[in-house]
Amino acid sequence: MAELSEQQKAQRANELAAAAKSQKAQLKQSKRQLAMVFDLNKCLGCQTCVVACKTLWTRDEGMEYMWWATVNTQPGKGTPREWEMMGGGFRDEEPQAGKLPTRRDFGEAWDFNYDEVFFGGKGNSVHLQPSGEPDWGPNWDEDQGGGQYPNSFYFYLPRICNHCTNPACLEACPRNAIYKREEDGIVLINEERCKGYRFCMEACPYKKIYFNHVRQIGQKCIFCYPRIEQGVAPACARQCPGRLRFVGFLDDERGPIHKLVKTWKVALPLHPEFGTQPNVYYVPPISPPRFDAEGNIDESKPRIPTDYLKYLFGPEVEPALATLKAEMAKTKAGGKSEILDTLIVYEWKSLFGPFTTDPATIEPRTV
Amino acid sequence: MLCKKVTLPRERLLDPLAAEWSAIPGEPLKLDATPLANQPSEYIKASRDEKQIGKVRHLLVQAAHNGSDILFRLTWEDTNKNVEVTDTNVFPDACGILMPLNGGDPPIDEMGSKDAPVNAWFWRADFNDTARNTVAHGLGTTQFSKECPIQAKAVWGNGAWAMVFARALAVPQQATEAVQLAVGQPVKVAFAVWEGSNGERAGVKSFSKGWRELALEA
Repeated sequence: MAELSEQQKAQRANELAAAAKSQKAQLKQSKRQLAMVFDLNKCLGCQTCVVACKTLWTRDEGMEYMWWATVNTQPGKGTPREWEMMGGGFRDEEPQAGKLPTRRDFGEAWDFNYDEVFFGGKGNSVHLQPSGEPDWGPNWDEDQGGGQYPNSFYFYLPRICNHCTNPACLEACPRNAIYKREEDGIVLINEERCKGYRFCMEACPYKKIYFNHVRQIGQKCIFCYPRIEQGVAPACARQCPGRLRFVGFLDDERGPIHKLVKTWKVALPLHPEFGTQPNVYYVPPISPPRFDAEGNIDESKPRIPTDYLKYLFGPEVEPALATLKAEMAKTKAGGKSEILDTLIVYEWKSLFGPFTTDPATIEPRTV
Repeated sequence: MLCKKVTLPRERLLDPLAAEWSAIPGEPLKLDATPLANQPSEYIKASRDEKQIGKVRHLLVQAAHNGSDILFRLTWEDTNKNVEVTDTNVFPDACGILMPLNGGDPPIDEMGSKDAPVNAWFWRADFNDTARNTVAHGLGTTQFSKECPIQAKAVWGNGAWAMVFARALAVPQQATEAVQLAVGQPVKVAFAVWEGSNGERAGVKSFSKGWRELALEA
């Protein structure tokens, strides 16, 4: 076969690109979209959500360092450290090159001396400690925060895979091993198709995909889809003692997700400029006012600088905070606020939309 | 390209350092980076520079058969030995041989097509001494097949890899995922090399443009 001319090559490349684009469009489409809202005014960084996910999903070989759900102190480097600077995502709809986080960036799985302390009779002489000298972990800079006393500040940021509407990971995979479920928009890695190329890890701007070194495949939050299929809310949401994790369909107009995100616009995507249209939304944290140089309260400046919140959530954070403050003023004056009633969560089950089944009442399945 | 007839057992030639290989003619191949425009991922196209991929540009190929087994010896310069996937951003060295699964003229730089699938023998430095038999019918479609196992042996030394693929010439009639080879029947071959230290994997690699015709000496 004679070599194609440059023109023929270019034409063929265009044909292939068009075919690939249409395949990606098919993989990305979904009829409905599950979403979560996290109210950052309520997160106390207890990490219960983190451990709930860990004990349920990431206990197998190769998963030791995985934390599909994380909670980090902001400002802070996050998990993996400095993920916000690692690129990926889209700009003007063009994919952006991203960096691969290393295992140390994620926070390596530490080896503890359990045998020695608990079973080796050294409980009174040796501390329980990790071996080696770790210099980073998934929550290393907990509670360090930012600012200067008396105006230091921090809050907690829980994160999971955002099950984006325009997932950079799905776009990046040359094997089409990542897809969105049509019925609920959950983004999944097909473990039979995945060959561990890790382009998805480069492309995800949230750096929420992990590499399983034993199985040589990518793995990430699955939105607890086996629970969802049985009407049970994801473990991170159900275990949260702070009642801050809402779960539901984005299009369910009577549910809290739709109202918080679309109607009242008090729940916002994280780093919307990454261009992936994430489906985990955040109610921004209100903070008390700052002290000025004389030690007087300066009502005009919140402790958590609005610029920092704009950096995280985009410019829409200002009207969102204004709405929340207005609603708080309303109830302080004796009025009623549907927004605050929704966020307070008097009824725990109101967090979960249709997913209120108790997992203790269902038959366990193998996945 | 000649696949020389020899009267040596497979086990002997499986050793890349066997002295007998020096008597088997080698074909030096020039390799090129895979064309970025064909990558089945807009992300890969946007994040890579064609000048920076496909680091290995020269490959020496020797082929021999003894009537029942066929062996290929591939050697290439590689000062960075990359074997284990020791971290998330670490990739092993690899190489592969491509042949049309059912004859015909499959497009090389598209990894075959639905009508003209290809059979790839794939070795990666962390596979120890095994290779993978894979089939593809287009970009991004390679699937590992358990049919007709392929042996491999690789040695790295003096800044170069030397590795050998070995397989029975003939495969069972009912095999659908392994190319049937026979003495006297020429077969198209192509080659690929992945440089691990350059983060090469998937379609990001060096390959031989154009099929070579391999003649299996009678």
